[in-house]
Amino acid sequence: MPMDAVEPDTPPPATTDDAPRVINTDDGAKDGLAKCARCGATEISLNVATGNLRCGFCRFEWSTDNAIEAFNLNGDIATLTGLLVGSGSSDIVPSTEEILTFKCSACGAEVVIDTNTSTQARCHWCRNTLSMNQQVPNGAVPDMILPFKVEKSTAVEKIAHFVGKRKFFAHPTFRAEFNAENVMGVYLPYMVVDINAHAKLSGQGEHQTRSYTVKVGDSTQQRYDADLYDVAREFDIHVNDLTVESSSDRLDQNTAVNSNNIINTIMPFDVENSVRYDSNYLAGFTSERRDSNLDQLEPLAHTQAEDITRHRVNDTLKFYDRGVRWAAEEVEVRGQRWVSAYLPVWLYSYQQRKSNGKTFLHYVAVNARTGETMGSIPLHQSKLLLVSGVVQLVGTVIGLVLVAVGV
Amino acid sequence: MLNLTLWATESGQIIAAGSSDDDSGGLGLVFLLSGFVFYSAIYFRYRNTDKRHGHESETEATLVNMQEHDEFVKARKGLSNRRMSGANNTAVRGASNKAATGIMSKFKLM
Ligand SMILES: [Zn+2]
Ligand SMILES: [Zn+2]
Repeated sequence: MPMDAVEPDTPPPATTDDAPRVINTDDGAKDGLAKCARCGATEISLNVATGNLRCGFCRFEWSTDNAIEAFNLNGDIATLTGLLVGSGSSDIVPSTEEILTFKCSACGAEVVIDTNTSTQARCHWCRNTLSMNQQVPNGAVPDMILPFKVEKSTAVEKIAHFVGKRKFFAHPTFRAEFNAENVMGVYLPYMVVDINAHAKLSGQGEHQTRSYTVKVGDSTQQRYDADLYDVAREFDIHVNDLTVESSSDRLDQNTAVNSNNIINTIMPFDVENSVRYDSNYLAGFTSERRDSNLDQLEPLAHTQAEDITRHRVNDTLKFYDRGVRWAAEEVEVRGQRWVSAYLPVWLYSYQQRKSNGKTFLHYVAVNARTGETMGSIPLHQSKLLLVSGVVQLVGTVIGLVLVAVGV
Repeated sequence: MLNLTLWATESGQIIAAGSSDDDSGGLGLVFLLSGFVFYSAIYFRYRNTDKRHGHESETEATLVNMQEHDEFVKARKGLSNRRMSGANNTAVRGASNKAATGIMSKFKLM
């Protein structure tokens, strides 16, 4: 494997124009039969317990290179300049066919892989598994992949526990149909970004000096004295592994029409443990293709980097206990590195059919690295409104009494 | 459904106003709004529409070469708000879940 081509110590030289420099992440990647080194079988899958790939016949296990080390992605963010992208993060070519035909190197048959749904297929003549690891410009093969670590049984337990605590007001149809065993392992597409920026913030801050009560009419009110200061901060900021969704469906987080915020909530992932992409990690799981390019994701990533900057600088503003009002915020991105990744999620999805004929997709999602679980459960609206009404009735009576006696 | 969520948010604000600015009658107000408070508590517990990844605090970042400038301007007396007006040092603008940031920023007024 010509690993030197990655140039471990020096990033590719800066070009004069703004063209991104590309880290080749599929050097040495081979399509077709990937065989077990011990017995030659192609029945290879992830052993979730160890994080290794395992041969289905002789149980031989091996691991793939850590992606961060292989592509030198942990290089000092301080020295990052310009735009550096993994070859699997480059722009999607719209005309790229999603159907690719391979020649099986065992028996010579022509086998079709639909990269829309998978990057693996089985030869229907000799039963060998054919894998696609080389990047095609349609976003189906990312730079790196973070293998599943949380076992299915654990995910089932977590989902059952989450839903179990939310049964009383759950929609009766959902309660009847719920079965945590229907969970699926999915690799979802993300972009992982490192950012080197220089920040300048200026404005005013207030520090409380006194707090006291004053009489206004026949009641008392709280008053405050404060010192006003001009405040400015200037520094460099190194953002590490900022992670953004790169599927346009998942990026849309309008909670009135979808529950994508649930999947977003289970972040972050330990992306530093990602390995070089190998489609054998996909066996037994499904995956979703990336369909957003860097230009579409860059504005969001930069706004999030500004949020991170604003929040991190608060460590130096503890004196201003009444807050700081920034009048000017300038976060100048000097260097950035983008890598595309498949990250693992256990997903229980439930399609709710509403009375108006519309459907709404609810999810319970488990981060398959950290076990963080979040979900959306369809509500039994009439039951909730009824109980809320009873609570309101009792509350009104107590409230009126309390207001009357002036508590 | 969305309307009720908004109601719930509004009720949160009213409670906030009731409890922070004026101590008398606050508890009574909570009871007068108990139906809305109950509805929104259950709604958020089941649907979790207010949840999102806290990229601003959960992403690793290092600050280096910090230069600080702080200069006293003047003393202000008799302010009625506990927070500086227009303070924006905890603002979040890059959340894909806009609903969550909207709701959360309103609740933060408490
Ligand atoms: Zn083997
Ligand atoms: Zn074959």
